[in-house]
Amino acid sequence: MFWRLVAQLLRGSRGRLAVAIIAIVSGAAVISALLNLDLGVQNKLTQEFRTLGANIVISPAGDAPAQSSSPDVPTLMPADDVLQTLRQLPPAQVTAAAPYLYIVARSQNIPVVVAGTWLDQAQKLDATWKLDGNWVASREDDSHCLVGHNVARRLHLAPGNALELHYLDRGVQCSVAGIVDAGDSEDNQIFASLRAVQSLANLPGQISLAQVSVAGTAPVVAGYATHLATVLPQFQVRPIRQVAEAEGALLGRIRLLIISMVLLILILTALCVLATMAALAMERRKDVGLMKSLGGSISRIVGIFLAEVGVLGAAGGLLGAVLGAGLSYWMGLRVFGTAIAPRWEVLPATVALMVVVALTGALPLRMLGNVKPAQILRGE
Amino acid sequence: MATLVHVENLRKEFGNVRALDGVSFRVNAGEWIAIMGPSGSGKTTLINILGGLDTTTTGQAIVDGTDVVRLDEAGLTRFRAEKIGFIFQQFHLVPYLTALENVMLAQYFHSTTDEKEAQQSLERVGLGDRIEHLPSQLSGGEQQRVAVARALINHPKLILADEPTGNLDEANEEIVLSLLRELHGEGHTILMVTHAATIGRLADRRIEFAHGRLVQAAAAPLKPELA
Repeated sequence: MFWRLVAQLLRGSRGRLAVAIIAIVSGAAVISALLNLDLGVQNKLTQEFRTLGANIVISPAGDAPAQSSSPDVPTLMPADDVLQTLRQLPPAQVTAAAPYLYIVARSQNIPVVVAGTWLDQAQKLDATWKLDGNWVASREDDSHCLVGHNVARRLHLAPGNALELHYLDRGVQCSVAGIVDAGDSEDNQIFASLRAVQSLANLPGQISLAQVSVAGTAPVVAGYATHLATVLPQFQVRPIRQVAEAEGALLGRIRLLIISMVLLILILTALCVLATMAALAMERRKDVGLMKSLGGSISRIVGIFLAEVGVLGAAGGLLGAVLGAGLSYWMGLRVFGTAIAPRWEVLPATVALMVVVALTGALPLRMLGNVKPAQILRGE
Repeated sequence: MATLVHVENLRKEFGNVRALDGVSFRVNAGEWIAIMGPSGSGKTTLINILGGLDTTTTGQAIVDGTDVVRLDEAGLTRFRAEKIGFIFQQFHLVPYLTALENVMLAQYFHSTTDEKEAQQSLERVGLGDRIEHLPSQLSGGEQQRVAVARALINHPKLILADEPTGNLDEANEEIVLSLLRELHGEGHTILMVTHAATIGRLADRRIEFAHGRLVQAAAAPLKPELA
């Protein structure tokens, strides 16, 4: 009979309860979306930060002896030592990796910094670059190069132009595949194939550094760097803290924002339910007076009403959680470009929060305890 | 015959207004008592006190051995559930419950529900085909018959009827009165508030009030035949 009464109460008061239902479903949908976002944003942001570039740099140790006789080439290290180690790393965790050999060459008698690298990795390691032209698809392609847009402006270069580079008495020619707009020091550099630059500088098998982009949170990256430092003790391995710290700080701010919004929505939903329940409690004084006259204790009577509110919260929470999953999916697509999959733990958490909010909003039902049946039945 | 209701020097004041002023009387088990008097004479106040719906200022109101005056809130709740069956002038049915559920509601607050028994109770008052109807789908007479079925469902010691036919037309009034007469015939004790002398004469005795005082307690004269 208890649940039969609850069902009839819900049916009988559906018009009055509509406002509370809308508030609960809306609140649950937004909270569910925010919770899904909070749980999914870490992965998404980590992926986003990976697009900012490499997060581990391997370079010669500070006390390593110089292996180049030229003052235009900084301290170097053997490429094979580093690259063999990188090849042995779990590929799932390494998003991209590339060696770099930096030299200062001349073009049109103007000194320019030339970076020899695996050009096929440039797009992955530097996804924020804007490119006018085409990427170079193969690291074996010695005939194409990418030019920073400051250099291109000074040398009057455009995609498709030929570019001659000179280093001491040697020279090499490549065709400009694309003009890079990195918004950073790369705008002043020319990117050519590693093999071509090694040949130009007569430094076969030598590199200046290697950059690695590892998937994972800041602690994961730091752990990875520690592991690399262990297997490459002769080199300096360091995570790029700027990216890791920015990631951590942003995650913290986003979480604080989401928690604040969830609390605000919970309070607003509770206030909305409170207003509805206050009106409903006034309407039900007569029913309560009658139920008391029939021998109903206030605890049993209010228990029926609380169950009604609890069902309302649970049903609204469930519906809202499902809608919220869709909302977070859509927000993921809009904000991150990929969908945020709903997390199963959000569903019970949203339902539980909505039940608590609904019961909190049912506080006005306490007024019913003061109902005097004789007064109610007299019509007062 | 055993005394079921014993009221002794009962007083009830609402502020400066004295609703009941030293009322004393007894009712034997199985009696049908008509409580009469003009509006504001204290009839409904007396019924409410005997039913545990209202408190007294002083005096005793003993029903089936229980002094209602001394009961706390929880005791009054149990008393109402177990010993009293109310029939109100305004019917007072829960609007969103069907006729059957209104009867079962009294069962629920008493102990456990028995749908079959509730259905039989409605069949007894001639509403076997209306059990799934909401109060708004029933006529006034039908609603009052649901209230009678509800009052009887827990086999109360005392039926308190406050103007049970006050809102009914003549045909429905006769149906309800015949039900009360039938209950009386089965040995139920009934205290019925009424303005109508013709209805009062159906009772075994009449207790008349004026200004909160009992002015006359007399055996009813000849009962008229009911249609």
